[in-house]
Amino acid sequence: MAEVKLTPNKEIDLKVEADVITPDEFAGKGKSEIEQLLVWQGPSQYPLSDFFDVEGEGGSSAEDTTIVINGDVSRVKLIGAKMTAGKIIVKGSTGMHVGSQMAGGEIVVEGDADSWPGMEMTGGVLHIKGNAGDHVGSAYRGSWHGMKGGRLIIDGNARSQIGGGMTGGEIIIGGSIENFCGIRQTGGLIVVKGNAIRAVGAEMSGGTIVIGGNIQKFTPGMQNEGEESDLEFEDIKCSGTFKKFRGDFAIAKNPKGIVYAGKETNPDL
Amino acid sequence: MVVKNVVCPVCGGSCEDIQVELKDNSITVKNACKMGNGKFQEVVSEHRIKDPMIKKDGKFVKVSWEEALDKAAEILANSRRPLLFMGSETSCEAQEVGLHMGEYLGGVVDSNATICHGPTCMGIQEAGLPTSTCGVAINRSDLNIYWGTNPLASMPRHMSKYGLFPRGYWTKRGRFDRKVITVDPRKTDTAVASDLHIQLQPNSDYELLNALLTILNGKTPHHSVEQVTGIAISVMEEMVDMMLEAKFGSINVGLGAGSSFGKHRNIEMALNLVKELNNNHGTKFRIGALRGHCNVAGFNQIATYLYGYPFALDFARGYARYNPGETSCVDLLREKDVDAALVLGADLVGHTPADSAKYLCQIPMVCIDIAPGPTPSGADVLLPGVIDAFECDGTFYRLDNVPVYFEPFTDSPFDFTKSNEDTMKQLFAKVKELKEKA
Amino acid sequence: MKFLLNTGSTIDEGRLAKGGNKYSEEYKKECAVCWISPEDFDLLGCPEKVKVTSTDGRYSIVVNTKCTDRVMCGNIFMPRAIWSNVVVNPWTFSTGSPLYKGSPVTVEPSDDEVLDAEDVVLKLYYGGE
Repeated sequence: MAEVKLTPNKEIDLKVEADVITPDEFAGKGKSEIEQLLVWQGPSQYPLSDFFDVEGEGGSSAEDTTIVINGDVSRVKLIGAKMTAGKIIVKGSTGMHVGSQMAGGEIVVEGDADSWPGMEMTGGVLHIKGNAGDHVGSAYRGSWHGMKGGRLIIDGNARSQIGGGMTGGEIIIGGSIENFCGIRQTGGLIVVKGNAIRAVGAEMSGGTIVIGGNIQKFTPGMQNEGEESDLEFEDIKCSGTFKKFRGDFAIAKNPKGIVYAGKETNPDL
Repeated sequence: MVVKNVVCPVCGGSCEDIQVELKDNSITVKNACKMGNGKFQEVVSEHRIKDPMIKKDGKFVKVSWEEALDKAAEILANSRRPLLFMGSETSCEAQEVGLHMGEYLGGVVDSNATICHGPTCMGIQEAGLPTSTCGVAINRSDLNIYWGTNPLASMPRHMSKYGLFPRGYWTKRGRFDRKVITVDPRKTDTAVASDLHIQLQPNSDYELLNALLTILNGKTPHHSVEQVTGIAISVMEEMVDMMLEAKFGSINVGLGAGSSFGKHRNIEMALNLVKELNNNHGTKFRIGALRGHCNVAGFNQIATYLYGYPFALDFARGYARYNPGETSCVDLLREKDVDAALVLGADLVGHTPADSAKYLCQIPMVCIDIAPGPTPSGADVLLPGVIDAFECDGTFYRLDNVPVYFEPFTDSPFDFTKSNEDTMKQLFAKVKELKEKA
Repeated sequence: MKFLLNTGSTIDEGRLAKGGNKYSEEYKKECAVCWISPEDFDLLGCPEKVKVTSTDGRYSIVVNTKCTDRVMCGNIFMPRAIWSNVVVNPWTFSTGSPLYKGSPVTVEPSDDEVLDAEDVVLKLYYGGE
């Protein structure tokens, strides 16, 4: 497998949009061709080599290409957008839209990710080892369909609107979350190990959400359906006892969304 | 001479019945509210910004119009990513020039909605807008709901002109034919004047709306909602009953819904509530935002018909892209993702949070304004503003998105510009000249 | 003490702002004010002035107090103006709109001077330059 190493070579002031950093773009290209790929900064385009030192060359196909970003790229947006195969490893934090609309392959971010990681993704694996911002795996503004497939793993915390409009795939969050997780969800699975602030599963009509920790402000349109223990969703297991709710009855007469909330962590629900 | 039917350029109410009598050093105003009268006095005020100025070594120095305009054009033409903020205290015609200039420069164009009813625009994109003009509400509404707004302070004549007192075709007895519900964590004057005051906990609007819809759908909301909102489920049921008994309800949402936690989701849920009432419960409702700033609705209208999005338009790639949180003014400034700014008719330094305001003061900034204030203080080039509806003609959009054409009752006090539209056009021409030279 | 900060219009804030009087004493008197409920006002020791500090502790502003039952316990209100916006949470939840209503803040009694609007710009935003 061919590996291309990108090392940031200067402090970035205005944010850069680098949707060319994908195995699909790098495949079949030599070092100098990769250096000449254009990225956006404001209304201007510059070669990739203005921002990164490039080492190595792309493989024969996207599957054969691994990109390693050696440093912090928190002011670089759209890394791995629309990628279909191959691998990207970011040894730092990324800016907005990492893995946006990705369809296959794998992205590993060792630091944090800004908002919109995995927006409307349809396949592949996006693993963020730090924290993430808003709109993880969600739909774009005004769109009804968020993440459709693949797996999104966040080891740390994430903020609001996680899995908005999600129709398939899995989101697994190791830490805590804030508001409107699974808003308008119609399918797929969201598992959160930590706490949530408010509006879990608001306006959902299908799919499943599991919250292991405490939910501060519960969604009023949820109706209790008893308890269940040791949940299993194919390879994902959630041990312990959970209170089960169906909803959101605010938005539909017969919704099929399911929220599980940890029994011991939510004595008031 | 008394001039009648003058349009007021202060809030989204766009009152069109103001009478003014302008004498040498005084102006007499009839029909305007306290806020409106305040602005009308600007025509004769002492503190009006009358001279173009440039900041040199931290101090403002009076310069010629040409020099100020050259400097302003230089700042914009040399910028790698300018922010053009088209404030609401000016006409659509001036804002339109700003949009075109933003497209030309590949910059970002935003307007007051971004720090006002931006979340409302976003909620509308999520759920659609079941609305009507205020005229329909005058003639039909027998229930008025003020949600997160205190019109007695932000749009003082709303109650008398549109909301509560006007006598319409089916509401001949005015106030006596109407009930009023106010939803507000604060006991405002509006709340005191209402039939029912829902004093909810701050940041719980979404839960309350969600619970109302759950009740409409025949279920009892989860019991935790009482603790979250501070409102008993029985009171929510009473509110739903009042809504179902109404022949025609009018919901007026303010920033209490749009700017608290939940933001566009609060609005989206309110829109869903209106749709549900209209579709399945034999009553009719409308919803509208109380647009606090003069022509804040106008920018949303023209930006949408020209470029497809209501605010936060990023032209970096030559076409408009829109993503609030990424391409919106407060976020761009907080993230230091622009390097120069043009602010027309808005006090951004005074009305954005400290991080954003501070960065705005650090970057080169051109300001077009009429009176001293935080933003003029933070500017590098200060161009005197012309007061729309007093000194030049143009178009505002009223709170219910009705365009209102206005005519002046006096002239621009300057020989170098006739209106803000004129200033923007002169500036755009200079910017083009510099760009084409380079 | 921790509070939720609500900001918004008042009629005189509107009158003075629209009249171009943002640098007047009257505007400062109307807007550099923190409304506190009687219970909380007592708990704070009935101070004449308070220092309000932003959620992240990075910014604070000193303003006069107004004791009123118009706000609920645990909440404070400040007219929308440069003083309140110094401590409004700049995070926008990816909506572009900061938390003008419901920002968590800290309030403590203070003897410091209440800055004029112009001084807020010069001292806080220009760092005294």
